[in-house]
Amino acid sequence: MTRRTLIETKILHVERPFVLESGKKLDSIDIAYETYGELSKDRDNVILIEHALSGDAHAAFYHEGERKPGWWDNMIGPGKAFDTERYFVVCSNILGGCRGTTGPSSINKATARPYGLDFPSVNIRDITDAQRLLLSHLGIEKILCVAGGSMGGMQALQFVCDYPENTGSFICIASALKHSAQQIAFNEVGRRAIMADPRWNGGNYYGDVPPKGGLSVARMIGHITYLSEEMLQKRFGREKKMPGNKNIFRPSFEVEHYLDYQGISFVRRFDANSYLYITNAMDDFDLVASLASRQRSPRDEGRTRGTGIKKMDHVKGLVITFSSDWLYPPSQGRDIAKFFRSLDAGVSYTEIDSDHGHDSFLTDVKTQSELVEGFLKSLMA
Amino acid sequence: MHSIIKKSYPIIEKWIPYGSSVLDLGCGDGRLLESLAEHKQVSGTGVEISEEKIIQCIKKGLTVFQSDIDQGLYDWEDNSFDYVILNATLQEITRPAVVIQEMLRVGKYAIISIYNFGYIINRLKIFFSGRISDDIRFEGDWYNSPVIRFVSLQEFYSILDAAEARVDDAKFLFPFGIVSGLSCMSVPGNLFSKEVIFRLKRGNNSHD
Repeated sequence: MTRRTLIETKILHVERPFVLESGKKLDSIDIAYETYGELSKDRDNVILIEHALSGDAHAAFYHEGERKPGWWDNMIGPGKAFDTERYFVVCSNILGGCRGTTGPSSINKATARPYGLDFPSVNIRDITDAQRLLLSHLGIEKILCVAGGSMGGMQALQFVCDYPENTGSFICIASALKHSAQQIAFNEVGRRAIMADPRWNGGNYYGDVPPKGGLSVARMIGHITYLSEEMLQKRFGREKKMPGNKNIFRPSFEVEHYLDYQGISFVRRFDANSYLYITNAMDDFDLVASLASRQRSPRDEGRTRGTGIKKMDHVKGLVITFSSDWLYPPSQGRDIAKFFRSLDAGVSYTEIDSDHGHDSFLTDVKTQSELVEGFLKSLMA
Repeated sequence: MHSIIKKSYPIIEKWIPYGSSVLDLGCGDGRLLESLAEHKQVSGTGVEISEEKIIQCIKKGLTVFQSDIDQGLYDWEDNSFDYVILNATLQEITRPAVVIQEMLRVGKYAIISIYNFGYIINRLKIFFSGRISDDIRFEGDWYNSPVIRFVSLQEFYSILDAAEARVDDAKFLFPFGIVSGLSCMSVPGNLFSKEVIFRLKRGNNSHD
C-alpha cells in the first residue's frame, strides 16, 4: 500500500463584510481551504483548483481516519498531473456551499441561527471573488493556472476573465460559457425534488430532520446526467441484486441500488439549501453577459474587479471535453475556445474519447492527466 | 518522415512573413508550427484529429484544436489568419474542394503541398507493376493507409474552380531542383515534378 499523505481542511475567517454582486452583503465569511505542495520563493507556482457542484476543499490526499482521498486525488499529488512537487495547489470550498465555507447552513450572526433562505443569492463571480480574498490572505498575487471541471470550469473562466493580468492560464474541463435550456431543466427538476419534500419546510429545517428524500432524488437525477447511457448499460445492464424481491417497488435492479447509494451517501454530506443556491448560481452563469454588463455594485476594500471584456493575449488556455458527455457536450467546449480566441488568448481545444460521460473528468483521467501535465509543463518552460 | 514534408518546410517558411498568423491543418505533432514559431515568430494554431498527436502538441506548448477538418473550419471566423496550411494532407481528405474553400474563407492565403501522382516514375510503376507506388501511399497496405486520394497536378488544377481559388505562386520540386512560378503549370510539370507546393488566393483561376 502506498503511503497516505494526510491533510486537514483549514478555515480562513474573514471578519469583514463581504459585498456580493447583488449589493447584498455578508457581515463576515469563512472560507474552507486546503493547500498541497510548497509555495515557491518567487510565488510563481500557484494553481487554483475549482470544485464542481458537489465537491469541496478536500481535493487531494487523505483526512485522518478516512478511507477515501480527496475528490481529485487522481489528478493532484506528487508526480501527478497537478504535480505537488512542482506546484503549490490551492482548493477552497465555494461560497454558498456547506463544507466549511459560509453558506445557507452557516450561522447568521444577526439571528444566531442558520441563514436558511435568508442567505443572499450568490453567483459565480461572488464565489471567485471569495477565492481571490483567500489568495491575498495566502500572500499570492499571481497564479500560474486556474483549473476546474463542470461548475469548477465556470469558476475558472470567470476568474481568468476578471483577473487576466494576474492569471497565467486556465484549464476548463467539461464546462460551458452558460447553461443550455436542458442543463437548466435538469437542475430545476433537482430543485423541485428538494422543495417538494415537506421536510424542506421553506428552507427552515436546521435542527430538525433535513429533506433527505428530496435531496437524494436530486442527486440521483444529477448522477444519471453525469454518466453516459453506454456506461450505465455496461456497468449495470439489467442485472438484479435481489431476484424474487417480495416488495414489488423496492429497488431490485443493480442500477437502482447504485442510484440509491449515491443519493444516500450524498445527503450525509450535503445541505439541501446549498444545493438550491449553487445550482441556481450555475444556471444564472452567463460569462459573456457578465463581462459585458457595466452595472456593478461597488465592493469593499477596492478589490480589483472585472470591468468589461479584456484582451488577454498573454493568457494560455486548455479546454477539455469528453466525447460521451451529453450534459456538457463538446460543442459547449468549442464555444469556450471560440470566445477566448476572440480575446486573443492562446487556447487549445481537445475532445477526449471516453465513455464515462460528464463524470469522465473525475473518473477517466488518463488522457486528461497527460494533457494537463503537458500543458502545465509547457507554461514553466 | 516523408520527403515532401521535409522539403516543403523551408519553402513554406520562406513564403510566410515574420509575425504572421498561421493555421496548420493536419498539424501532426506540430513540427512545422514549432519551426515557424522559431524562425518566423508566427502566432500559430494547429488542427489535428488524433488524440495522441494533440497531446504531443500540447506538451510543446503549441495552441491546437482537436477537430476533423473534413467537417469544415466552422470554429473560425472569416479572415482569422494570414495563412492556412495544408501540408501533405490533401490526399487524406474526403471533401477537398470544401476544405480548400474553407481555407480561403478563414485565411488570406492557402498553402497546399501535394505529392504529384502524375509524376513519370509513378506512372511507370503503375505501368510495369500494375500497383501504386509505396511512395504515394506513405505507409502500409492500401486498405489501411490514411491516403484515400491520388491527385495529379492536372487533377489538382481542376479543383481550383470548384474551390473558387487561384494559384498565386507555386514551387515545383523536380528531380534536378526546385522551380518557382507559374510557368510549369502544364504537361511537363505534371510529368516531371514529384511534389508541388501551391500558394492560393481567393478568386478565379488565371492559368488557362
